[in-house]
Amino acid sequence: MTTDAAFDRKHRNQTMKIQLPRLLLAPTAAPFAAVLAVCMLAALAALAALAAPVSAVVADEPAKAEVPVQTFELENGMRFLLVPRPEMSTVAAGWVAHVGSANERPGITGMAHLFEHMMFKGTRTIGTTDIESDLAVIVEQEALQEKIRQIYREQRERWRTGEISDPYDPAGRPAELVELQQRFDDLVERQRGLMKKDEFDQIYTQNGASFLNAFTNSDMTVYLITVPANKVELWFWMESDRLFEPVFREFYAERDVVYEERRLRTESTPTGKFDELFNAMFWQAHPYSWPTVGWPSDLRVISKAQADEFFDTYYAPNNITAVLVGNLDVDQVQQHAERYFARIPRGEREPPDVVTLELEQIAEKRMHAECDCQPQIQIRYHTVPFDHADSYRLDVLAGILNGRTGRLYKAMIEGEEIASSASAFQQADKYAGSFTFSAETKGDATPARLEAAWDRIIAELREETVGADELTKVKNVIAADSYRRLQNPFFLMIQLAVYDGLGDWRVLNQEGEKLAAVTAEDVKRVAESYFAPENRLVGHYLRKEGTVAEEVPPELAELPAEMRQGVMAQIRQIREVEDVDQLRQILGQAEAQAAQAPPEMKKVVDLMLRVLRERIEELSEGGDQ
Amino acid sequence: MIARVRCLFVVAVAWLAAAFPSIAADDLVSHPSELEFAPLDFQVPRAESFRHELSNGIPVYLVEDHALPLVDIRIVVRMGQFLEPASKVGLAHLTGSLMRRGGTESLAPDELDERADFLAADISTSVGDTSGNASLNCLSSVLEECLDLFFDVLENPRFDARRLEIEKSNLLEELKQRNDHPAQIASREWQWLLYGDEHFTSRHVTGESLAVISRDDLVAFHRSWFRPQNMMIAVAGDTTADSLLPALEQRFASWSGGEGEEVPWPPPEARSVPEPGVYVVEKEIPQGNVRIGHLGKERQSWNDPDDAALSIMNDILGGGGFTSRLTKRIRSDEGLAYSAGSQFGVGTFWPGSFTVFYQSKSETVALAAKIAREEFERIRREPVSDEELRTAKASFIETFPSNFESARTVANLFTTDEYLGRPHDYWYDYRDRIAAVTEDDVKRVAEKYLHPDRLVMLIVGEWEQIEKGDADRRATMEGLIDGEATMLPLRDPVSLEPVATDPEG
Repeated sequence: MTTDAAFDRKHRNQTMKIQLPRLLLAPTAAPFAAVLAVCMLAALAALAALAAPVSAVVADEPAKAEVPVQTFELENGMRFLLVPRPEMSTVAAGWVAHVGSANERPGITGMAHLFEHMMFKGTRTIGTTDIESDLAVIVEQEALQEKIRQIYREQRERWRTGEISDPYDPAGRPAELVELQQRFDDLVERQRGLMKKDEFDQIYTQNGASFLNAFTNSDMTVYLITVPANKVELWFWMESDRLFEPVFREFYAERDVVYEERRLRTESTPTGKFDELFNAMFWQAHPYSWPTVGWPSDLRVISKAQADEFFDTYYAPNNITAVLVGNLDVDQVQQHAERYFARIPRGEREPPDVVTLELEQIAEKRMHAECDCQPQIQIRYHTVPFDHADSYRLDVLAGILNGRTGRLYKAMIEGEEIASSASAFQQADKYAGSFTFSAETKGDATPARLEAAWDRIIAELREETVGADELTKVKNVIAADSYRRLQNPFFLMIQLAVYDGLGDWRVLNQEGEKLAAVTAEDVKRVAESYFAPENRLVGHYLRKEGTVAEEVPPELAELPAEMRQGVMAQIRQIREVEDVDQLRQILGQAEAQAAQAPPEMKKVVDLMLRVLRERIEELSEGGDQ
Repeated sequence: MIARVRCLFVVAVAWLAAAFPSIAADDLVSHPSELEFAPLDFQVPRAESFRHELSNGIPVYLVEDHALPLVDIRIVVRMGQFLEPASKVGLAHLTGSLMRRGGTESLAPDELDERADFLAADISTSVGDTSGNASLNCLSSVLEECLDLFFDVLENPRFDARRLEIEKSNLLEELKQRNDHPAQIASREWQWLLYGDEHFTSRHVTGESLAVISRDDLVAFHRSWFRPQNMMIAVAGDTTADSLLPALEQRFASWSGGEGEEVPWPPPEARSVPEPGVYVVEKEIPQGNVRIGHLGKERQSWNDPDDAALSIMNDILGGGGFTSRLTKRIRSDEGLAYSAGSQFGVGTFWPGSFTVFYQSKSETVALAAKIAREEFERIRREPVSDEELRTAKASFIETFPSNFESARTVANLFTTDEYLGRPHDYWYDYRDRIAAVTEDDVKRVAEKYLHPDRLVMLIVGEWEQIEKGDADRRATMEGLIDGEATMLPLRDPVSLEPVATDPEG
């Protein structure tokens, strides 16, 4: 029923729970709106196109637009951001919990993401026919799991001394564990008999809601949906219910699902394992070093008790911001908020801050990987986090490099013809930032040649200030694309949630001016400051002997590698879906959403639509001519 | 004393209510199914308030939206693939794509790209079956500069020879894959079966037609048809009539488009009487790709109540996904196909098509066809149920507002109205027409527009397996559809000429 889309390199494993369309019962769907959402988020950071109103510099009159956000806060600390759009017939609604994998610790990595899954499992009212029996089964399950964890502890001891080679090998389970797991499975069956499967999704769908979705990254967890404008109260009922009285039923089954997803997407993709290693190598001290999906051994033993504690700490209303964009009545929304969300008590203690700071890197790091992939390169530098002044300067620098008329394309793709794709971006996360260059080789070119070309381009930026026209072009493109993204209410809602998750939604309205203020001298200075060898990690990916690389569609050539990987993963998933009705549903929703996709995503969107249609045709007699 | 106590009590209650507002949460309904929602209040915007006309007669629908400093302009041109010579199929398509990609008289292709990027202008051009399209999206602060560039692309395309060659070779690569998917073969053959091979929509690009298209052809095609006389314009976003209309006037003042042939309009009709019967393209695949149907309806008037009833009828028969009859019986009940459904087309320029489509493993192709046939006859014979009617009507009415969700969709919709000759009333009364459909209407249009004696069936698959039917002898192909089974030739993907093979395969 769910799939996750990890875009591990850039988003440190941003993962998504996908709940659309509701008909999907096979774990294969590649829902398109999710791709759009992820692409949008990726674009936010990657294309130096922070979604912000930037003044266009070529005109006398600078363009100005502010997203008119109205805000209020409940007694319990929950905040609301509202953008009325009276012309719409729907409301795009979501909320962000200020918790991601950076808030985890060794032993419970993957928890934030697992939570995102659990939040769809229902409540005391939703998802069950008999809540008391349901809760009783959960207590019994917990007792068994405690015994199972004890056995795993012994297994790990045996593993440490070399007695066994894998503490979690199903074939090497002690008899007692086999028996416990059998009893546990019986309890799961009993619980399933009490469940109304997917009731949470079904209620929304039956009421005409769409794009039910969620995603997790290192800094935040975001839950999304679009509801008809006259049914906004349904959203308040459903979302407050799952924050007020959630029931984490099927906790251990879902934990296994996540484990499988990790296998599918990190361990079975051409570069997944190496990207995870690359990320872990890059961060020496910071929690950004572990993947959002979690380490495999942690996913084996995370307990429901740990999850309960995590929920109490991080899913308290004082750690949550709701965002609603659409045809809404502000007074009415405020009344609903009071009625539905004010009943949830403030958390007993404030969520702790992430206190570990990354150390200054003192020597160049290098990774040499051999994989079943097109030879490629990634170079990543430590930079600055969200809303730091230099972050905007690095965004502009990335803009000078990217795009069809950017320096990377001209030098590597057109000029030397050594790359089939090349891109660079500043990733400003909540607690720390990084700048990444990535490219794939073309023909006989090697990653080493790409590295040399990159070094030359950076040297140019250090030695010569960029021309006025080039700078203006970049600022104009950033400005226009950021406005275009605000056109779509669903994306606007996501952006407000994401900015709030990063620290402050108001930056959405401020960064335009900050980007417009960047000078050619600024660009030169950040090029000098951040691009030193001892501040970077270089990753060379070489094709393992005897393997064939997957063909990358030309539409994806200009995308950052992470996004391309993500889109490729989605394409692979689409091609595996067997259920044509499900595809038709996805296509229908995708087409509705595609018209307003961010413009730089248009090629990708068209490609995805084409893949969907091709797959539908392949499976059936398409209804379309 | 009593009064004083009472008073204190009242104060205490008020204080409690103020101090503990969450107590009010008690009156929340216990399940979302008990929530009551007001009907969705939605008024269709009036087209007249957006319409303007330039001095050269070009209509402009302009919908202001100042939320963001962006302007969106779309030009529809009365032209299309129907104007290209039969020997040069692909000319219209190439003209459309090369206008943007091939530079202008004053700007080489890469200079055009640079200029567009500098202005952050999104410009695209294309030519389809029955229309040409050009669009511009840019910041309102640089609208003048963007309009200059946009009109340069529209009026003075360079059609750079090198870019043309690249475009042609890419297209040729695509042609080579035309037989890869059975559905693609079926789509091509179905078009020919229903509309003959003479109509322009039945013509396909071939290696040969591509080879004879020259740069001169593109120049001539553009000059002849992509002209102001044939245009209509939709504008949405951060501009006003007072500023934009003069800006458009100014650009058109120097672009008369010259003396040229009038566009023959409407586009030529498809005149063909399909021959009922079973047609087979032999292909070694385990599942048959099937279409069954006949010509649909040609639109007589835009407020013909039959059209609303036909939408409902088809939705119940096979257009409404899981709630529709064909899907339920063929997919859910019998598990014969991943997908099964129907569509009923009401065409604007020529009759649309009625098509039942499904794919099923070879031995159950006949059984699924039998079921389709039963449902096809049942909907003509019996009234549909109350619930079916209600569900179908609700699905049309509830999704209706999404047609008007943004300034851009509104401007485009009303421009398309004028392009097609569709009166704007069509939208004002749309939901009423749907709401008015009765069980009797559904039965009446089913009888009137579904014709058991005209059915054409196309199968792409293994005929020998399909013909025999299923092992339980529930159905065979014999007697299902009137007429002989005709074997159609497989065609070369690039030339589309029949490939000489033994039809028995």
